[in-house]
Parts: sequence; C-alpha cells; structure tokens
Amino acid sequence: MEGAGTSYSNAFRFVAPLQEHLLQGSILDAHCEVLLHRLRGLCDNADTTPETFSDYEAVYQLKNNLATPASQYILLRVRQALDHPEAPHHIRYLGQAEVGDKSRHTLVRACFDVACSSNVRDFLNELGFKLDHEYVARGYFFHKGRMKVMVSKIYRMQQPGKTDQNTLEPITQSHMVELSVVAPMGQDSIGEEMKNFAEQLKPLVVLEKFDHKRLP
Amino acid sequence: MQAPQSKEEKQLDAGLEGLITKVHDLKNQIAAFINKLETEYETLNWPSMLDNFALMSGQLNSLKQLLRGDKMPALRNFVLFPVLLSQDPDPHLEKLTEGRVVSCNHDLVPDYLRTKPEPEVEEKINLIANKAANVNIETATKQLNSLNKITSNLLDIINSSKDEWENDAGQKGSQPQTSQQQDTTNLVAAVTKGLRLRRPDPSMQQMQAGPIHSMQQVQNPRPGMGKMPSAIKTNIKSGSAHPYQRP
Repeated sequence: MEGAGTSYSNAFRFVAPLQEHLLQGSILDAHCEVLLHRLRGLCDNADTTPETFSDYEAVYQLKNNLATPASQYILLRVRQALDHPEAPHHIRYLGQAEVGDKSRHTLVRACFDVACSSNVRDFLNELGFKLDHEYVARGYFFHKGRMKVMVSKIYRMQQPGKTDQNTLEPITQSHMVELSVVAPMGQDSIGEEMKNFAEQLKPLVVLEKFDHKRLP
Repeated sequence: MQAPQSKEEKQLDAGLEGLITKVHDLKNQIAAFINKLETEYETLNWPSMLDNFALMSGQLNSLKQLLRGDKMPALRNFVLFPVLLSQDPDPHLEKLTEGRVVSCNHDLVPDYLRTKPEPEVEEKINLIANKAANVNIETATKQLNSLNKITSNLLDIINSSKDEWENDAGQKGSQPQTSQQQDTTNLVAAVTKGLRLRRPDPSMQQMQAGPIHSMQQVQNPRPGMGKMPSAIKTNIKSGSAHPYQRP
C-alpha cells in the first residue's frame, strides 16, 4: 500500500503531462456587468452574447495512506452541465497548485481531464471514493486564443443532490473570476501572456496567483 | 603701422584682449558642457545640469559687464572690413579657429562679418515697424482691451476645465471597490478545498457528540470509569517502548 498514491499521481503525470496555468480573483455582483462588458471587448467571442454555463460539480475523495498531509486524499472532480443534459460528464484530476518564484506569473498545477459517461459517479462509489462536497457553478465563459476566462457564481446546495434554483444558496456576494490555460508541460511563456491579459482587467478585478497554502 | 599708438588705440587693444579671454572662457565652458552631455548623459543629473547653466550665465554676465564698462571704447564706432578674400586654405586661420574656418573666402565672410540683417529681412522689419507706427492710439487701446478680455476669458475657461478635470481624477481615485479580497479567499477555498460547501458529516456529528458523553462520565462520581482509558494508554506506551530499551 505504501507509495500507491505516488505511483497514482506519477501515472497521471506520465499519461498526461498537461499543466493548468491559473490566475484567480473575484468581482462583486454589482460590478459583474461592467466586467462582462469589458471581457466581451477583449475576448475572441465578442460578436456573440457571452456564453453561459450552469455546471454541477461533485468532488469525490479517496483516502490515501501517504504520510504527507498534502496528498492525504485523492480528489476527483466530476462535472456535469445542467443546461446541456445530453453532454458527457467530465472528470478532472487537479494536482497541488505550485506558486513558484517571482519569475513565474501564474499558479501551475497538474491537470487531467477526461470525458466520461453519466454513470461515472456510481463507478467512483464502487471504487471506494466518497462524495466530499458538491456545488453548482453558474456564469459566463470567454476565450481569447488559448486563454479561458470564467466568471461564475458558486452556489451551495442546501439539499444533497438537488440542483433546483430554490435550493441553491450563493456562498458570497461575488462572482469568481478565473483565467486559465491548459498547456503541455514546460510552456512557461504562457504566463507572460496571461499576466498581460490580467493587467487589462485592473482595477476592476485583480487576478493573482492565489497561494492555496494560504487558505484556511 | 608702427606709428606710436594713440591713447584710444591702447585702450582698444586692452579692451579687445579682455574680451577675447572672456569669450575664450565662455567657449571652453560650452565645450566642456557639450562634452559632458555627450559622454555622461547616462549619469548626468538635473542639479549638475543647472550648475553648468549657472556657470555659463555668470560668464555671459561678466562679458556684458566688460562691454558696458568705462574702459571699453565704444566698439560700434570701429569698422571691421576684410582686406583680402582668398579661396586658398589659410593654416594660420585654421589653427586660430580650431579647424572651423579653413579659409577667408567669399562664402563665409558675408555671414561672419554681418552687422545688419539680410536686406529682405530688413525690409520686412521696416514694413512692420511702419505699420505699428501708423496705428491710431484709440484703436490700439481698443484692440488691447479686447485682447485682454479674450485672454481673461480663455484663462477662466482653462481654469474651470482644470477644476473639472481634477474633480474627475479625484472621483476616479475614489472609485467604488469592485472586488473584495475576502470574497476571493472564500471562493477559492470553496472551489479548491470545498470549504463551506461540505455538509456536516453524520460521522463527524457522532465524534463531536462523543467527548460530551465522556465528559458526563467523568463528572460521574464513579472514579473507575474515568481512569480506565488512561491506564490503557500507558500500557500501550510502555509495551511499545520496551523491546527497544532492552534488546
């Protein structure tokens, strides 16, 4: 059992040496409209109305016997589009976000995405994964080149598994703003591009590499 | 030319000599400054620039004083005219002018010895001077007044727009906050670690209820129940430590 977790994450690294470069921030709901307007001007899909999404995400965890607290659990995130029931479900593994030094402008974490069938949650349960938490994210999606911008509101679900509007409760008075790029390992130049883009959203939103170790 | 010099001529010689040294000083100063600008432009700072300007202005002043001084004859009464113009290079002249003027020729002399503006320029100046002289005093005052009026109006407009602009800038500085750090923290914590999204776990509730239960047991007057766990703990400790202490 010892080392099972490492080989697990190593396997991910081996299979898909993809990395997600990430900048995070938030905007108060009252000013969200202004941000959307600006994003429409900056991004590629300017001619269409902003693409909306409404996703349900369930995070499953499997206990790991490793001693290091950082890898105590393996988390897998299952996403499903509530507004497109016919779309495949999506399962995602995310590694520990690395802050790096000053020369790096973004967070970088290993990232592994797979599309899967709708019974993936049962499958995970059978494997021994347990549902850790779940939420609904609703918002807008933009892209500029390979950069992806998501402006989304995060809702807590008051009843397990229920995604009706009246059982959802927003957790803050802000929208979350994420700027991300998934790229093969070693493409550090993307950070510069992202930094320049984030610069254009100031002072409306301050997108920064948010150190996840600072989290409570 | 060796005739005894008159008093005036002596004075002129002395004056010119002084003038030449002063001009030479000024020239050296300007050359040094230009050299500084060309070689130290990366490290040159504003105060040392100002120092240089002050030096030059001082030298110009002393030159002026010399020209106005009592000992200086009225230079305007003397005429300087070229005796000989030649296309051939003159090494002496070249040396005197540090290579700037090679020969005293027809091209240069009119420029160097000019005491009046060019005829066309002079004509224009005269024309304007005549026009100015012919203006009626009344119309002049009228025009002056209207000019003053226009200027003050313009100043008002500029001032008011400056005020507006400054207000705008002030408002921009106090732009309402569009994002909150706390919200960012909460959102990131929720999305990455599920903070505030996790439902209270039923097993967690049991664990929370556990200690309360045992507390009640401790408060119970029966002492045996409370001691039991601690005894087991020490047993385990000594049991595990034993084999290593005595092999």
